[in-house]
Amino acid sequence: MVVNNLARRPVRTALSMLAVLIEVVLIISVVGLVRGLLDEGARRQQGIGADIVVQPPGASVFMGLSSATMPVKMGDVLGQVPGVTAVTPVYFQSFGGLTLAYGIDSESFRAVSGGFQVLQGRTIQGGYEVMIDDVYAAENKVKVGDRRELWGHDFTVAGIVEHGKGARLFVPLATVQQLSGSQDKASIFYLRVAGPQDLGPVLARFKSMLPGYNIRSMAEMTSLMMAGNLPGVKPFERIMIAIAVVIGFLVIFLAMYTTVLERTREIGILKSLGASKSYIVNVILRETVLVALAGIALGIGASLLMRHVVLHNFRTLAILITPGWMLRASLIAIGGALLGAFYPALRAARQDPIEALAYE
Amino acid sequence: MALHHIIEVESLKKVFQVGKVDVPALRGVDLCVEAGEFLAVIGPSGSGKSTLFHIIGGLTSPSAGRVLVDGVDLASLGDAGRTRLRKEKVGFVFQRFNLLPTLTAQGNVDVARDIAGDFSHYQAAHFQEIVKMLGIERRLHHRPAELSGGEQQRVAIARALVNGPAILLADEPTGNLDSENSQAVLEVLRSLNRRLGQTILMITHNPEAAGFAHRTVTMRDGRMVS
Repeated sequence: MVVNNLARRPVRTALSMLAVLIEVVLIISVVGLVRGLLDEGARRQQGIGADIVVQPPGASVFMGLSSATMPVKMGDVLGQVPGVTAVTPVYFQSFGGLTLAYGIDSESFRAVSGGFQVLQGRTIQGGYEVMIDDVYAAENKVKVGDRRELWGHDFTVAGIVEHGKGARLFVPLATVQQLSGSQDKASIFYLRVAGPQDLGPVLARFKSMLPGYNIRSMAEMTSLMMAGNLPGVKPFERIMIAIAVVIGFLVIFLAMYTTVLERTREIGILKSLGASKSYIVNVILRETVLVALAGIALGIGASLLMRHVVLHNFRTLAILITPGWMLRASLIAIGGALLGAFYPALRAARQDPIEALAYE
Repeated sequence: MALHHIIEVESLKKVFQVGKVDVPALRGVDLCVEAGEFLAVIGPSGSGKSTLFHIIGGLTSPSAGRVLVDGVDLASLGDAGRTRLRKEKVGFVFQRFNLLPTLTAQGNVDVARDIAGDFSHYQAAHFQEIVKMLGIERRLHHRPAELSGGEQQRVAIARALVNGPAILLADEPTGNLDSENSQAVLEVLRSLNRRLGQTILMITHNPEAAGFAHRTVTMRDGRMVS
């Protein structure tokens, strides 16, 4: 009976499923995009291979959100601390809005990170050269030898490297310092220590040497960058989820309300056969659950397809779709749908059978 | 041997409130129906026939008076109790057939069994005999839209009887049928009564239809006049 009832009004059933689909896609995709981007950024920081990160006072863990700098020479002092095996200064500068380029000293960066895996061309040597990662190269269809305009200057692509070490673009440190008028400045220092046993003492020493500076282990820094720890992310997610739930709730409510009105006589017939209030509610809610399940399945499929299409065209994006969030989105969608159907179901159950049977 | 009254109605009153006005539909009705009897109730529109049926069938509650259906005092029942009465002891047949349009004939019958659940007195052999008597064996897999009026009404009768109810209440069962189908349905009801001992109460405007019953009672202005 439930399936037949849904099939009887295919357009309304399809629209209800669509509302649930949109709800699920909205939840999974928005959460997936936010978390994906944040977590992907954290992974690229980890990929540098540093143990300790030093930033000036007031700097954000999200590179590019602040322009505070430190003297490059501070790196020499930090490098003298027992237990430190390598130090590299990085000056980052954004371009084109959100994209960040790292100005690096190739030799010291190699000492900390172990160097780049060069896929094409070579590493940067100086001047107006840029090295890009393979993800950026693929998205922007850039190859070795091409010219890219950065900060009003033409840079030549010297090499394409494997992604995963901080930024997607790397230029010589001196070049970007000069272009930004920040000679001898660094935005951040990355350091390596000799072994795990040195981490704690070195951190303590740095903190006593540089009070007020942001001195963290890489683990601590990337933890702060993860979506779950960033202030504002959870409230944002909750707002998006609430919007999605309201969409699903409203459409299901309206669909079920009109369904109940249209089927007043049928409800009267069921009651004349001895159907209890709970039976009537059960029928309505079962129809709702079936619609929701179909919408959820389609929504998850659509989310995965959308992710595939988006990442195929925008490789620098990251959309994190986890089984946990698929389950959460499903439960939220079912909950919202049942909530939307509840009042119409109760209304159906409370109808007077004689009036319902006489309804035209 | 004492006769078993399957329905006992004593001083039954029913008042409807329409806005601020009290409308008396039944003004003190007395009625006894024996088990296995086929009773016709006739009367003009507004005489209270349908209200009487609705009360006996548990679709609404009496305002005053006593109604016993197969030993159950309806005055003591709330909404849940009357719902159970409809599952267990009453089968309805309506003028407009009232079949569920999205289900086949078999589906309509199955829904009645599903609703009754443990309260059903379904007996397969007995029900097969009813289906055969109704002549709808080959029509059970058709939806109502694919059945004639007479076939639909016979399916409705089958649905009303699937749970083995004590009484069958037929409210103008031939009201929407042509004379040929009306005759067929009335003969089926008579057969059910004579061969299976089914207690039947039938509302009708048609004196010829009333002639199929053992006994006829007349209602006027909310009272039984004969």
